[in-house]
Amino acid sequence: MVLANYEEIKTKADEHWNSLNNSKIPFIRIGSAMCGHASGAFRVEKTLKSILTEKNIRANVYQVGCIGLCYAEPIIDIKKAGKPRLFFRNVSPENIGDIIESYVINDALPPHNVLGYLGDEGPIGNAPSIEDIPGISLQNRIALRNAGHTAPSDILQYIANDGYKGLHKALRSMEPSDVIEEIKDSGLRGRGGAAFPTGIKWSFLVGSPGPTKYILCNCEEGDPGAYNDKGILESDPHTLIEGLTIAGYATGASNGIVFIRHGHDGPIDRTEKAIEQAYEVGILGKNIFGTGFDFDVEVALTGESYVAGEETALMEAIEGNRSMPRFRPPFPAAFGVWGKPSNINNVKSLSYAPEIISRGAAWFSSIGVNRSTGTAIVCLSGNVNKPGLYEVPMGMTLGTVIDDLGGGVSGGRNLKLLQTGGPLGGVLGPDSKDIHIDFDEMREAGAIFGSGGIIVGSDEVCAVDLTRVLVAFCQFESCGKCFPCRLGMEHLLEIVERIASFDSELGDMDLMKSIGGTMEAGSLCGHGQLGFGPIRSAITHFEEDFRSHIESKVCPTGSCNRQKIVPKNTRPYATDFDPGD
Amino acid sequence: MTEKVKLTIDGTEVQADPGSMIIQAAMDNGMYIPYLCYYPGMKPFGACRMCVVKAEAPTPDGSYRPLPGSPASCTTPVSEGMKVETNTDELVSLRKGIMELLISEHPHGCLNCHRIDLCGPTDVCLRHVTVNDRCVTCPKNERCELKDTVRYMEMELTTPLTYNNRHLPLDVKDPYWDMDMNLCIVCSRCVRACDEVRVDRAITLKDRSGRSIIGTSRGTSLLESGCEFCGACIDVCPTGAIVERDYKWDKAVESVTTTCPHCPVGCQLNLDVNKRGKIIRSIPDREADANHGMACFKGKFGIDFVNSRKRINTPMIRKDGVLEPATWPEALDYTAKKLVNYRDGEYAMIASDRGTNEDNFMAQKFTRQVMNSQNVDISSNTKPQLLSPLKEMVGAYAATSQTWDLLESKCILVVSSNITEDQNVLSVPIKQAVSKGSKLIVIDQRETELTRYADLWIRPKLNSEPALIGGFIRTIVDESLEDHSFAIDQCDDYAELRNSLWAFDLIKVAEVTGVPEASIRDAARLFAEAESSSTLYALDTVSHDLRIDCVKSLINLSLITGQIEKESSGIYPLFEGANEQGSKDVGCAPFHGPGYEPDNLSGIGLLGIAEAITLGRVKAVHIIEDSPNFDKNETGNFYSTLAQSEFVVAHSTFENKITNRANVVFPSKTFAEKSGTYTSLEKRVQKVSPAIGTSGEADDEWRILSQIANRMGFQDFQYSNDSDVFKEICVAVPFYRSLGRDRLEKPGNTWEVENDRKYKFSPVTLNSDIDMLEDENFPLIFAPGRVLQEPTRDPEVDIVNEMHTITRTEIIEMNSADAEALEILNGDNVKVVGENFELVGTAHLNGLHSGMVASTSLFGSLIEEVSKNAADDPMRKIDTLEIRRVRIEKI
Repeated sequence: MVLANYEEIKTKADEHWNSLNNSKIPFIRIGSAMCGHASGAFRVEKTLKSILTEKNIRANVYQVGCIGLCYAEPIIDIKKAGKPRLFFRNVSPENIGDIIESYVINDALPPHNVLGYLGDEGPIGNAPSIEDIPGISLQNRIALRNAGHTAPSDILQYIANDGYKGLHKALRSMEPSDVIEEIKDSGLRGRGGAAFPTGIKWSFLVGSPGPTKYILCNCEEGDPGAYNDKGILESDPHTLIEGLTIAGYATGASNGIVFIRHGHDGPIDRTEKAIEQAYEVGILGKNIFGTGFDFDVEVALTGESYVAGEETALMEAIEGNRSMPRFRPPFPAAFGVWGKPSNINNVKSLSYAPEIISRGAAWFSSIGVNRSTGTAIVCLSGNVNKPGLYEVPMGMTLGTVIDDLGGGVSGGRNLKLLQTGGPLGGVLGPDSKDIHIDFDEMREAGAIFGSGGIIVGSDEVCAVDLTRVLVAFCQFESCGKCFPCRLGMEHLLEIVERIASFDSELGDMDLMKSIGGTMEAGSLCGHGQLGFGPIRSAITHFEEDFRSHIESKVCPTGSCNRQKIVPKNTRPYATDFDPGD
Repeated sequence: MTEKVKLTIDGTEVQADPGSMIIQAAMDNGMYIPYLCYYPGMKPFGACRMCVVKAEAPTPDGSYRPLPGSPASCTTPVSEGMKVETNTDELVSLRKGIMELLISEHPHGCLNCHRIDLCGPTDVCLRHVTVNDRCVTCPKNERCELKDTVRYMEMELTTPLTYNNRHLPLDVKDPYWDMDMNLCIVCSRCVRACDEVRVDRAITLKDRSGRSIIGTSRGTSLLESGCEFCGACIDVCPTGAIVERDYKWDKAVESVTTTCPHCPVGCQLNLDVNKRGKIIRSIPDREADANHGMACFKGKFGIDFVNSRKRINTPMIRKDGVLEPATWPEALDYTAKKLVNYRDGEYAMIASDRGTNEDNFMAQKFTRQVMNSQNVDISSNTKPQLLSPLKEMVGAYAATSQTWDLLESKCILVVSSNITEDQNVLSVPIKQAVSKGSKLIVIDQRETELTRYADLWIRPKLNSEPALIGGFIRTIVDESLEDHSFAIDQCDDYAELRNSLWAFDLIKVAEVTGVPEASIRDAARLFAEAESSSTLYALDTVSHDLRIDCVKSLINLSLITGQIEKESSGIYPLFEGANEQGSKDVGCAPFHGPGYEPDNLSGIGLLGIAEAITLGRVKAVHIIEDSPNFDKNETGNFYSTLAQSEFVVAHSTFENKITNRANVVFPSKTFAEKSGTYTSLEKRVQKVSPAIGTSGEADDEWRILSQIANRMGFQDFQYSNDSDVFKEICVAVPFYRSLGRDRLEKPGNTWEVENDRKYKFSPVTLNSDIDMLEDENFPLIFAPGRVLQEPTRDPEVDIVNEMHTITRTEIIEMNSADAEALEILNGDNVKVVGENFELVGTAHLNGLHSGMVASTSLFGSLIEEVSKNAADDPMRKIDTLEIRRVRIEKI
């Protein structure tokens, strides 16, 4: 069904959306992003469908993404004609029957599991409005605006909610240079970790010779505690495709490649399906919206490697090589994937583009603070009551995030530390609640906002133990190319383990610093250059923890024992190592 | 010449090529920056971080902008006005930090010990360093780049880091090479050499992080990993992790550059010689124009024969049927006295293709002047047709371009050649070109290594190649792809060629060749439309009488498309003898004299000699060295025929079937003892230099022959050394004159013929009546193939006697109709039986031409066989991929 123009698709989409919302048969949405998946959404869906069949009830059932309240998953919401959407929390195969029985069949509120209602049609019974939940009210969703609301598998739902409007506007009424100016004016900075201004990055590619140029989108997202890229692709892949295509138009690129880590099945499936649909309606491919602009998008996968998220390693991976970083120069804008000019952006950065184009740079830059405009997509996890995927305006304090969104530290304990920006990021101490989410402010504080992961540690967490886990991760994920990282990480892990098992001496602290210094100055890519970061910031904030392990051979929280518990296979040349394999 | 970039390194202003890296600029100007993963000639990698520098680049406003961090000089290109510091305190300490990390996993007991120069391998260590952790017990001790770098950096003796030996078992189960991954520093040089230089990808980086290590790509043995045993990985390894097994621990006292005797590519090898005068290693010369630092299994591991104890060390004369040692004067006098009886046509000389230009010039001079005979040839000249049409059609009896021109050739046509085994290093530029996007067309019945890289592998019926090439030309004319102006302006007889094409109707050609019309058209288009196309042909599978037509057609193809004068295009005849080109240049051939003048002589050559002996026309035979060709059918039943001759003079290094028959035997020098010149297939005249002393009383052929000549009363044979002979060659061979002996210091130059005459087309006729070598007992044609790896098949390697052994069952490809006639089903066990040949395998029915059978084995099997072969010079007589007549039996 290739549709000739945007208006035609839009009309069709609106009809579809209206019929879903105002039909006699209920419109049931199941939160089935990673958080839903992990808490059993697919089992719930299966039970739901069998009950519907059994009771002979017709319903439009769609899998949707995450509204942010991961702690309440699996979340199901039911929209009946003339009524607001009613959200149910922590649904399980056991209680889904009751919910259907009472609300779908009998129009009555079930006694439990009700999260709240959403919509202008007014309250239902005594159900609260979900907008009263801080986890919803404090959010300002831009990139995730459709998450949990539209089905990623249905392009028409996306279009009905003003999807591809930004692309249409860009292609129809803007020159590529205007698009880049708009992005520059919005102050959007790359959300992959380095916070480099996206507009400027795009402009690097403009001057590179064509006709084949690549816009790459990076969804390697291997950081423990980060799930916002996956969240976007699972909840609303069309936002990314739209952003990618806008970037393609702005930079004169011919191809887009969405690089997803092998094993992220949800994002892979949904993105591939979305690309297929976009081709079907003519939003990708030749002559998009009749403007003569051609753009192709595909999904690329590789094996599991954290370093594949490094931009040049990612290009190697796409080419089918071992994912090891290249040296620069030449920079990707001159010599990228398959030797063609390339530009690499994070999923989040690209996903802002549609809204920036359709609503304007001024609107976007009015959100946020200082040089950090727009929103931050926070993956809040760890010792916190309400972990979730929260998109909040830049400039919110970490205290608000932890206490209001997260509902405070779990178990009534005190906050001890925050681990931010992924394993290569850093650790903040208990006094960090006043720090604002702001790229520059967090960097000054010795951590980075990075990819958006915030792991909360209560006073039960031992800084040494946490450091050990982070270092083990970094060591295992080193690609093994450059010497300082390959060997340095190995020694750092060994020393941290030595400290954690009370076998070390005071000199080890200096030794770690000297190895760290070598890695920082000598490594080929960010993995090695930042690899000492977690240790340095842990030492800065929790030197006492380290001293206690080293000098008094005591772990203050009692969580370290003499056992070496390290992730499987991280030990170099362990006894099981068979050189033949 | 592009303008050089000026930059300052450590305060010294130097010049560098634009785009080159800082480290190369420093090296070219005699400055040293420590490095471990960089290797000149390979793409920079940036892994070891040892070559870090501080650099500043000028900005337009005149100030200097420092490059961020400490960039690696191997990955940072030079720029105009750049200022580079290589040795600041910060850099030195950073380097030491990295090196400290590095040696924490490398056995470093001796690396940072002050006694390093004093200890020998058997000394007791005063510091109680275990044997495995000592450098003095490492095979690479004197040649270790890691050690040199550590010492240059003056590292501390102690390190606070824990020493982690990997404790990996040694990998010593493959032929020729030993791998000790405990010594590996994971610089990936070997992987890159295998991947980007040799395009084999036999070894790779395995695993990641601290566990990353080098291994075979399929995890098992090199025999099936795609390894061509070229030794490139060994040559680049900075430590003792990968080394040659033979003479592993031996130390070299000198290294001599000479030319490889195994094939006509003319690789320059640096031969390491130990203090007992043995050649212990062969390391290809990185600077050489002929091979760019490449070698092959023969040049790398097939040189050991010169060290053999079984050499013939004195002249011998046969008395009463037994060869008895004699003095030189006795043997020379005896020979001179005997040969007098066989002057004029009764004498024939077969010189060695390993003979130097000097030797073979003397061989022909001796034959022609002393013996008054034209019967002189070299033992590798089994395919004289490869060169014979070249003179008339393109102006010289030689390839028109050079080996490394192939690198930039956009389309390469390889006809019936097994380059990987016969002219190995020539395949390197081909594979590199293909990996850069050039098109490769292979025409061969056999599946060879290059067919795996080919964009188009055409498998015509046997002996239908001339028809096939004719079909290409016809397509080109039909589709107007020819270079019309070149064909008319620069070539004669274009009209004749066009007139001859009417016979090559594509439907007819498709029928004759068994190749679909579409493939013929595709190939023709690829060849004609490419910016530059090259043709290489050995015509191994084409029968004698069709070779001339085939070569003519190939030249016609190059001429009509103008693919001969363009940059990186050309024609390469692929013969096998190491100095075949030079031998012909100096006139060691039955049909022409030195310098190809006169070219109408009518001597008896290699191919006619057996018959001439049988007919009694040739009675005395003078043979220099044995040759694999004497075993082949092409030369007739050579050894038994030899028994019918009256008098046989042999020059030989080893006893063999020829010396068994010889009346007199002269001990001959090997290439490693000789001084002289070889001419490679790209016409490059290169020096052969003596690396080791002479074995026994062995001597040069030219000296032996001139002494016999003197004894036979010829005074024109007075030479004191090989330079005298070369001077005479320069007189006799006009195009060698410009070379001059003193200009032969490396790099060797190529000879060129000044030629102002036109090219010439030579039309051929379509021969649809192809001789399929019919034979009642053996009705089928067997095309044996050999490839480096077959990734589609599971690894099939066992360990037998501590060595890897390929155990797989071969697949026998057959035509389905043929199989049906023999009641053979897919998957049946069958036996291929030929004369002195048997192969058991599993039948696989496919679309092979009726009447043909094919099977592809692994190159690893060949290497296994050669490495176990106890023959005097095993690499000399490698089982080639010969087309055979066979029958199939079901078992």
